[in-house]
Amino acid sequence: MSDEIISRLNHSEVSPLKYDGEISHSSLEGPVMDRRTFLVGAASVLGMLAVSACSWEEFIQNNFQRMTKEEMEHTIERLGEEYKAKYGRDFVVGVEGPVDHTLFGYALDIQRCIGCRRCVYACVEENNQSRDPQIQYIRVLRFKDGDMDLEHSTIYYDPDEVPQAGYYYMPVQCQQCANAPCTKVCPVKATWTEPDGIVVVDYNWCIGCRYCMAACPYMGRWFNFTDPVIPADKINTVTHYLGNRPRMRNVVEKCTFCIQRVRVGKYPACVEVCPVGARKFGNLLDPDSEISRIIRTKRVFRLKSELNTQPKFYYFFAS
Amino acid sequence: MKSRKWTLVIVPLVLCILALSLDVGGGLTEAQLQEDSEAAKDIRPPTSDKEFPVPVPPLPKTITPCRACHGPEKDFPVNFRRRENLLVHTNIRLNHGGIRLWCLDCHHPENRNYLLPLSDGKNISFEQSYLLCGKCHGTIYRDWRYGIHGKRTGFWNGAKSYYLCVTCHDPHNPRFKPLVPMPAPKKPWTPPEVRAKH
Repeated sequence: MSDEIISRLNHSEVSPLKYDGEISHSSLEGPVMDRRTFLVGAASVLGMLAVSACSWEEFIQNNFQRMTKEEMEHTIERLGEEYKAKYGRDFVVGVEGPVDHTLFGYALDIQRCIGCRRCVYACVEENNQSRDPQIQYIRVLRFKDGDMDLEHSTIYYDPDEVPQAGYYYMPVQCQQCANAPCTKVCPVKATWTEPDGIVVVDYNWCIGCRYCMAACPYMGRWFNFTDPVIPADKINTVTHYLGNRPRMRNVVEKCTFCIQRVRVGKYPACVEVCPVGARKFGNLLDPDSEISRIIRTKRVFRLKSELNTQPKFYYFFAS
Repeated sequence: MKSRKWTLVIVPLVLCILALSLDVGGGLTEAQLQEDSEAAKDIRPPTSDKEFPVPVPPLPKTITPCRACHGPEKDFPVNFRRRENLLVHTNIRLNHGGIRLWCLDCHHPENRNYLLPLSDGKNISFEQSYLLCGKCHGTIYRDWRYGIHGKRTGFWNGAKSYYLCVTCHDPHNPRFKPLVPMPAPKKPWTPPEVRAKH
């Protein structure tokens, strides 16, 4: 048997052992690409660009954290034009940086929440989330009284009126972890924690591998499986580069505490809309802020605190 | 022998000085003091009338000002007796505090444009009704002042707008009214054959 294989190898024309005694011209002058390889490479790059509908400028765009001021201005201008062409409206793409001595924190009064989902839809409208397929950063879980097992909760409750007797509600969104597992697993550093504590995504740098979604224990991240569909009259044109600017297919997005609002001092949209005032937001470094006072004086807990993700999102009991 | 005597005197003396200088309980007491002062700050009453930027109270336009009917020169005498059927204000069904509360436990009997005063004797206007609410609901009032209870809008680091107690709670029937929930999220699509198994 082995003799047969050896004889086949010896007579094979493509045998790696075959040597004709001449050294090829190209190997003497370094790595010169032959015509065939060059054409294949060029065709595939051009083909990829054509298929992905990605402009040349977008293709060479830098990571947001490494951008110079000029690059940033250039990118914002290009994005504004792109969005105008798509939605027919003038966009403001902000790049406001973090406010000094600020670390954002959030608190939610679990006793007050009535599960009306006003926050969910205010968030969708503020942050330009896709309507179809549906993306909603906030999930409102309904639990039976006395039960805290997440497996027993539901997000599909639909009664005529809320709150229902015998149930309580717990909205869950990105917990803006201080020790965020999602940013650690990103292979391209497209997601990171800003100095003011907001975990953000550079949508143009994201490769859509969804490692971050697998790492997040709160299901706080969403993936655009298709091009997001947002009615042009519903689009929010006041945006931030790291926040609610329109996303594209194959990128991950998430709650950013409404970065476009909080960086200019406003409350997030979910805080503003909550009819029972269960949502509280503020600066953790300011001892007089409502969030600091809540942590100091009320009973608080953090979701899945045993995982050491150290969320900056607190649930509390006001009374 | 003499040196041993000295040692007997010096060692307890040194120990005493050490114990005094270490002051083991000192740090804790300081922390407690700080906490106490913070708590005292928390329960400090408001000093100025304009402390809270509150909206206009949601009073019905048709029945205000109250003095139009309830006044010394009008024919509606003050009646402190609790009654079930009122001649006017028939839309009000008092459901606050059980049988212990009545209109004139909050409204001023002599001047209906105001609410009953606190111990300072100053009538409370409807814009400051939270002062009267705080009379019974002290802990909630304290939380409201610091934005823990109730709703605020505006700027997290700047001007805020407070909601009055009566913006959310009808003072005659204060329980928060149920709301119609917004639509539930769509369920992820599953093929019918898989759906049948679950």
